[in-house]
Amino acid sequence: MASMSHASVNSPRTRTSRGPLALLGVGALILLIVVGTATWLAVVTARLSSDVLTARAARTAASDELETLLDAETGQRGYVITGDPSYLQPYNRARARAATDFDQLRQSERANRANQPRLDALGRAANDKLRELALTVSLMQAGKRDEAIAEIRTGRGKTYMDQARAQLAAIIDDAEATAGRDLDQLTFDARLLRTVTIVGGLFIVLFAGAAFRLLLRYIREAVAARKEVEGFNVTLEDRVARRTAALTRANEEIQRFAYIVSHDLRAPLVNIMGFTSELDVGTRALQAYFADETAENKAPALEAANQALPEAVGFIRSSTTKMDGLINAILKLSREGKRELLAEDVDLRRVFEIILASVKHQIDETETKVTLSPHLPMVRSDRLSLEQIFSNLVDNALKYLEPGRPGKLQIEAENKGQNVVIKVTDNGRGIAEQDRERVFELFRRAGRQDRPGEGIGLAHVRAQVRRLGGDITVRSKLGEGSEFRVVLPRSLLIEQSVTL
Amino acid sequence: MSPNSVGLPVSIVMVEDDEGHATLIERNIRRAGVNNRIVPFKNGTSALEFLLGEDGKGTAHAGSSLLILLDLNLPDMTGVDILTRIKANEHLKRVPVVVLTTTDDQREIQRCYDLGANVYITKPVDYEGFASAIRNLGLFFSVMQVPTSE
Repeated sequence: MASMSHASVNSPRTRTSRGPLALLGVGALILLIVVGTATWLAVVTARLSSDVLTARAARTAASDELETLLDAETGQRGYVITGDPSYLQPYNRARARAATDFDQLRQSERANRANQPRLDALGRAANDKLRELALTVSLMQAGKRDEAIAEIRTGRGKTYMDQARAQLAAIIDDAEATAGRDLDQLTFDARLLRTVTIVGGLFIVLFAGAAFRLLLRYIREAVAARKEVEGFNVTLEDRVARRTAALTRANEEIQRFAYIVSHDLRAPLVNIMGFTSELDVGTRALQAYFADETAENKAPALEAANQALPEAVGFIRSSTTKMDGLINAILKLSREGKRELLAEDVDLRRVFEIILASVKHQIDETETKVTLSPHLPMVRSDRLSLEQIFSNLVDNALKYLEPGRPGKLQIEAENKGQNVVIKVTDNGRGIAEQDRERVFELFRRAGRQDRPGEGIGLAHVRAQVRRLGGDITVRSKLGEGSEFRVVLPRSLLIEQSVTL
Repeated sequence: MSPNSVGLPVSIVMVEDDEGHATLIERNIRRAGVNNRIVPFKNGTSALEFLLGEDGKGTAHAGSSLLILLDLNLPDMTGVDILTRIKANEHLKRVPVVVLTTTDDQREIQRCYDLGANVYITKPVDYEGFASAIRNLGLFFSVMQVPTSE
């Protein structure tokens, strides 16, 4: 029993070490993946956002450059056509802006290596255009209007402008394409982040739930284990109390036993010494007669030879036999107390069946009706002791039936907690109240002494029952019957037995 | 032993399970010159049947004189049980009871006197002591007065 309970205490501890650690590890890994992905996506998003801004700035700068060039050209055309110097105002403003605008464009495109040749071409075209504009304006200011118009007519200015326009359009297209691509990527990344977060969150909730369930289970197991330990303590106290009671009882029994033995051994001893003295008396009578064969001495000598001496020898012999019997009985009890008990599964019904078969002759002779309950339980105990105990009880029941009344013998048993209670009931002559304790004492018998016996059986039975950790009691009504109740532990603990 | 007040002889009822003891007791009482009838019983059941009679009330011995020699360790009951029954009986309660046993346990001796035993004697193990104790008891019997049962 003990080893089983140990196993059930130990096994959850071994489970405890692996389950939650693995769960914790998986949870941590998922969390790490989610956090890593989110961080990486954040970095990517930041870079993409800055790229989009750069592309926007580049586009704006390119538009500004185009506008500046157009402004400068518009101012030049107005001045050449009208000669009105007020047209030079936008022209001059545009010229002043042109360098800054181009620098800004270069600045915003500095990371874009692919656009560098375009920027160089644009720079050249813009410079050529500005130089052409400056030439025509200075011709106009010098009053050479025709030369200025002729210069415009060459179409060089238009060519420069077209070149600049084409480069700017390409730059703007490129910036818009980049911004569009980056925005698409941003949207995709945002969606990815959301998906990863949701899936990761789901997993964490799942694992948190599993961890919570695991925790609950461990708490329940811990509580159960504690209860088990508390249970052990209670049983331990119980067992200590039971053992103390058993030891006290055993001690009282030993005292009682010593008292009975000393008395019962003393009685034949008194006889032996008494009749030895009687032998002496008889011998002296014989000696007196042989020394002096008078008629006066003859009568006592004859009496001694024919009566006193044989009687004395007979008593000495019977007393010696009685002492031998007593010593043998004590030895038997002592040996039985020393025999090693062996706990095995015993079917009580089978035990009684064998006993009843062995006393079939007496059962038939006394016309006894035997009722053997079909519900006798299994016990784990010493088979030989059980056989001797119940064989003695069944023998007694059949031995002390009321003459002239058909016998009844009932055998039943039931489980009561850790114990099994076996009842052997008869309708025999019964035991008087004052004898109910005495019948269990060594060499003591109760009632009419009309059956052979030494007064050992029940003393032996009680010693054996107690050795098995149980007890035996009797309930009886004189003239109506007796009920012997044997209480035994269902499972014999060898260490628990107390030897007499 | 002297006869009782109306001249009937006193009977000695001896309850002793050990046949050897019974023989030795009887022999030593006789050696003391006591020739009264001795009625021996080997166990308590038969002794009580005799003392209390068939009706169990002890009327059978009304008018007769008894003296009881009682051993305490009997196979079927203790002498104390018999003593209790005798002292509780209307007709037998005045019958002198001499407890003669191997037990010298102080509590047992006290209990017997409490229950109304008249004399308590321990059987000595050495035979000389035993024999002289019985002979002295016999001498004591020869001078003591025994009442008639009512």
